[in-house]
Amino acid sequence: MDDIDAMFTDLLGEMDLLTQFLLPPESLHELEDHDLDALMADLVADINATEEKLTAQMKDQKVPPPPSSDLPAPPKGLSTYSASSIASPTSPASSTGSNVSTPASSSASPLPPPPPHFKESKREEIEAQMKADKIKLALEKLKEAKVKKLVVKVLLTDGSSKTLMVDERQNVREVLDNLFEKTHCDCNVDWSLCETNYELNLERIFEDHENLVEPLLAWTRDTENKVLFQERTEKNDMFRNPQNFYLWKKDKKALKEIKDRDKELLVQENFCGTSVIVPDLEAVLYLKEDGKKSWKQRLFQLRASGIYYVPKGKTKSSRDLVCFVQFDNMNVYYGKDFKTRYKAPTDFCFVLKHPQIQKDSQYIKYLCCDDAWTMNLWVTGIRIAKYGASLYENFKAAEKAAVSSVWTNRSTPSSSSSSTPSPTIKGSTTHTAHRDFGNVPPPPPPMANILPPPRPDAFLPPAPPPLARKNSAKPPPPQRHLPTNFPPPPPAMDNLPPPPPPPPMDDALEAPPDFLPPPPPAAGFGSLPPPPPPSNSFPPPPPPGSFGSMGQSLPPPPPDPGFLPPPPPQPVFTGAGAPPPPPPPPPPPTAAAAPRAPVRPSGSVKKIPPATPKRTTPSLQGGGGGGGGGGGGGGDFMSELMLAMNKKRST
Amino acid sequence: MAAWDLSVTVEDLGPDAPPVTLSVASDLHVGGVILKLVEKTQIQRDWSDHALWWEQKQCWLLRTAWTLEKYGIHADARLLFMPQHKPLKLGLPNGKTLRLLVCFSNPVFQTVMGICRQLNIRHPEELSLLRPVEEKKKKKDKDSTEEIYDLTEVPLSSASRPSLYNGMPAHFADSPQMEAIYKMLSVTQPPPALRYILFVSELDCKISFPLRWLDSSRCLMQQGIQDSDRVWLRFKYFSLYDIEPKYDAVRLSQLYEQARWAILLEDIDCTEEEMMLFGALQYHISKVSQSEPQMLSSSAAMDDLESALQSLEVKLDGESSSASEMLPCDCFRPKRLTLKGYKQYWFKFQDTSICYFKSKEESIGEPIQQINLKGCEVAPDVNVAAQKFLIRLLIPASEGMNEVYLRCENEQQYAQWMAACRLGSKGKSLADSSYQSEIESIGSFLAMQKTSSGSHGNSPASDESINTHSLVSPRYHKKYKPKQLTPRILDAYQNVAQLSLTDAVMRFLQIWQALPDFGLSYFVVRFKGSRKDEVLGIAPNRLIRIDLGVGDVVKTWRYNNMKQWNVNWDIRQMAIEFEGNVNIAFSCVTADCKIVHEFIGGYIFMSTRSREKSDTLNQELFHKLTGGHEAL
Repeated sequence: MDDIDAMFTDLLGEMDLLTQFLLPPESLHELEDHDLDALMADLVADINATEEKLTAQMKDQKVPPPPSSDLPAPPKGLSTYSASSIASPTSPASSTGSNVSTPASSSASPLPPPPPHFKESKREEIEAQMKADKIKLALEKLKEAKVKKLVVKVLLTDGSSKTLMVDERQNVREVLDNLFEKTHCDCNVDWSLCETNYELNLERIFEDHENLVEPLLAWTRDTENKVLFQERTEKNDMFRNPQNFYLWKKDKKALKEIKDRDKELLVQENFCGTSVIVPDLEAVLYLKEDGKKSWKQRLFQLRASGIYYVPKGKTKSSRDLVCFVQFDNMNVYYGKDFKTRYKAPTDFCFVLKHPQIQKDSQYIKYLCCDDAWTMNLWVTGIRIAKYGASLYENFKAAEKAAVSSVWTNRSTPSSSSSSTPSPTIKGSTTHTAHRDFGNVPPPPPPMANILPPPRPDAFLPPAPPPLARKNSAKPPPPQRHLPTNFPPPPPAMDNLPPPPPPPPMDDALEAPPDFLPPPPPAAGFGSLPPPPPPSNSFPPPPPPGSFGSMGQSLPPPPPDPGFLPPPPPQPVFTGAGAPPPPPPPPPPPTAAAAPRAPVRPSGSVKKIPPATPKRTTPSLQGGGGGGGGGGGGGGDFMSELMLAMNKKRST
Repeated sequence: MAAWDLSVTVEDLGPDAPPVTLSVASDLHVGGVILKLVEKTQIQRDWSDHALWWEQKQCWLLRTAWTLEKYGIHADARLLFMPQHKPLKLGLPNGKTLRLLVCFSNPVFQTVMGICRQLNIRHPEELSLLRPVEEKKKKKDKDSTEEIYDLTEVPLSSASRPSLYNGMPAHFADSPQMEAIYKMLSVTQPPPALRYILFVSELDCKISFPLRWLDSSRCLMQQGIQDSDRVWLRFKYFSLYDIEPKYDAVRLSQLYEQARWAILLEDIDCTEEEMMLFGALQYHISKVSQSEPQMLSSSAAMDDLESALQSLEVKLDGESSSASEMLPCDCFRPKRLTLKGYKQYWFKFQDTSICYFKSKEESIGEPIQQINLKGCEVAPDVNVAAQKFLIRLLIPASEGMNEVYLRCENEQQYAQWMAACRLGSKGKSLADSSYQSEIESIGSFLAMQKTSSGSHGNSPASDESINTHSLVSPRYHKKYKPKQLTPRILDAYQNVAQLSLTDAVMRFLQIWQALPDFGLSYFVVRFKGSRKDEVLGIAPNRLIRIDLGVGDVVKTWRYNNMKQWNVNWDIRQMAIEFEGNVNIAFSCVTADCKIVHEFIGGYIFMSTRSREKSDTLNQELFHKLTGGHEAL
């Protein structure tokens, strides 16, 4: 126990150092319980990952036996910050199973170069190498520490919300993918993230390639702005109905009757050439600018280089045009309800402003159109001019994701149902229920790039718990529909479904982290104490020591950051559980897992970020306890979070 | 069959030599005539390229198996015996002139293919030849001694794609002279002298330009082009296909030159902002292409731990301490909005922020204010002559934009801070590798301002040095003084200064292609049923009808809706049918109907190209689409 506590304290301190959490929109107090759970899970996962990585790294060097591992340390960034809404009772979707979002691929890419590989290296050989690696690792950690993460509450159309942690390197596409997993929506290309500006009554669709964190950082501290997750047909309308934008002068009837072949040609012509062609819009719009109250009419033209207007008494010749705005540092927003708010001639308004500006200012340009059609024409035209080819790339990527999601969803029911009922043995009873969900592998995006087929070894070292936790949880390999792949694992599988799979699963999943060994483990873990009792106060951290000791037996765990090694899905766990001691990191599992590993990859087909089932209950408790005990090294955020947790628990 | 006398002029005997007279019969085939002729001249040489040209009928007798009778040749025929390939002076888009051997007997389409093969330009179907502008003005002495690059020694090869050495066709690798020619072809030219722009712009070729295209289905001789005449090679069809910088060095640089001139001469309209950006890109391109291409060490090769570590260290350093140390010791006086006058503070640059302090001594503590520049607007307010070096910052905040001015003491300091602010606005710190080059380019723009304002007045401006005026069209010479123009171009320049040469050229072309009027060729036509002349614009994907008086687009028809088109050669009228029973017909007022017909057919041909077949050109189809009745 003490050990655990100590470790935890240490971790908290670490985390404080390493990660900077920003809590923007809503303060912690407003968070729902389940949000807290999810967040906590994320945090812990994060910490675990880091620690894990470190230990693994060190161990690697020492451990001679598990030669086959070329598992690089998982960059901690990798760890899934899943904001799981799993527990959230509110969201209907969540009931299905765990929604764990994995920034997987996304976060992986930006990561530092994959950690060195330890290929059957003999100890002696690489003294220097080890040292170098350590330095490298340290540097990486430093870098990693600068990564900003934001806890974002996303409103769904049904009024509920999901809370997730977003890494500053993630773009909107990746966040959407996470949300797809959490909400089990149909994943069509129209799903969008939108931001609303409460103060100004604005709304805008984030483009899929944009980073999410950056625009959110511009929000003021007390903002009532929201992030929405919605289907917006206008997002990709220029690809579905290019004629509306490129042939806008034709009468509407003709536009409706246009043939598909001609639409395709228009897309081809305007988006696939050497240069993206911007619709040549021209219209008289009402303008309100410079902080004035009045709206005046002007003849505007849209060009690739900006919006221009025709000055009074001049011709429309290009050279006489006056530049109204260019698009660097300018975003376009839909204005809502401007008729009453700003006495606009109509309610079809859009706004151009620097993303940083959040309040009414003379630097904001308000434009008003005669009708909704014109407004859409302009907003979309401006987006094409501003973002160019990126829009089309986004659309293509979204289409792909939509297609593969069909698969995923199909598989969902089966996998979730089978695995669902796994009561956890360990820790807090209270959470059991949630936890179950957590473990349940989310509808495994069946195929994931992430599952790197090529490196089976990756999972070989069965998971040092942390690993397992994160990764494993994730992409439960598609089970049902790819029977073929399964051959090896079947046995394990069989057991799984019906009987609550070996409890270890959960624990293995979450607890694994070095600190939280699965409950049952026995002797093997002498050093690894059971789940930290909630109420512990953390004694001094002896962690290093414990790690070290563990290290001996541990195979190098760290998965490769580049690709999340396919989380040893259930099979793995099972395997792990089955063998006598399901020690977190013990080698035995390795053996069991090993055979399977290869299989899985084959199963994986496409890329879809694996879902991470996560639910780190154990850690949560630990966290809670820490808080209660007066909180060790945790920062403001941590302690706040813990307090909240405690409160929740007590109620 | 009766024999009769046929007289043939042999070009190789000299202009004054009398025609050679042969005794022939009507059933003798052309090959036989040539054989007799060669025997009679008693000259030993390779005659394989020679052929007979029938002057009255203006055609080549290329079918050697045809008899004289079949050709309809009688004793009164004036025949000329000469080589099919002759030298031609070829004006390139970049303004240089080449002398090279081209085919005078094949349709121009094939002649262009041959030229492009020699010059290593892919997709010759996009180019064509046109008659040069009548140079009414007697050119100055300087122009008449214009340099001509000679390529006539290049052996004529039939290979469709020449083999490459060092990235250029083998024949350019033969000698240093040839290599120099290749360089001229593939490297962009420095901005032209101001005077030259004015000279060319006076020729006013915009209107007449499309009228001067040669007919692709007939040969040069048939169109009155003689040995050593001058013609221009230009891109004609602006559906630029499959541009690949790796293989298209010559194509890209010539395309860039043509685009640049189209903009300088206002053949295509653009806005002032666009003109400034074009100017900035030209400046950047000429600067980069003149400096030796430096290979950037590929960052991918960072396997070596040492180097990885080093670069990380540098980065960390740069981000923390040393960067701020680099520029701290300068005093600036920021003017806060309403405060009058400047107050002196101690400024420090840190990451992407500016901090300022009361004095240097206090710079260790808390700054009075820290301003993050990311996303801000940076504008210069500089007058070298008056030694005014202001940097205007518009800094976004949630309430709006804050305006801050920084005043620098001298050029040097200004260049450093300006560069830092620009990087900061893009979210980069001073540790960024582009910092030094940014300083340099700001410095060189300042220098430009100095020289141009110095030489402003009546002294003949353009020396060899770059003049901002040579980067924009003459309209802006009148509108702005150099010192007004320079900061505007510099302003646009900040957005492109990081581009590599190829990227900059590509960007230039992209912006050009994105102009609303891109690719349009104009013809004055009279629509059927209309009583006034109107303008027909032919674009790569559509036809537009423009009201001559107002300049407004009245109607647009897209080719993909076109069902068929016909030419009535007798009344020189084109009739086009579109889907949905839309029929239009017009006669051409200024241009020959054939030119318009060929343009439309040509664009339709361009749209039939596909990647799989891109290596071979379907010439037959081209002629079918563009040739009209003569093609048969």
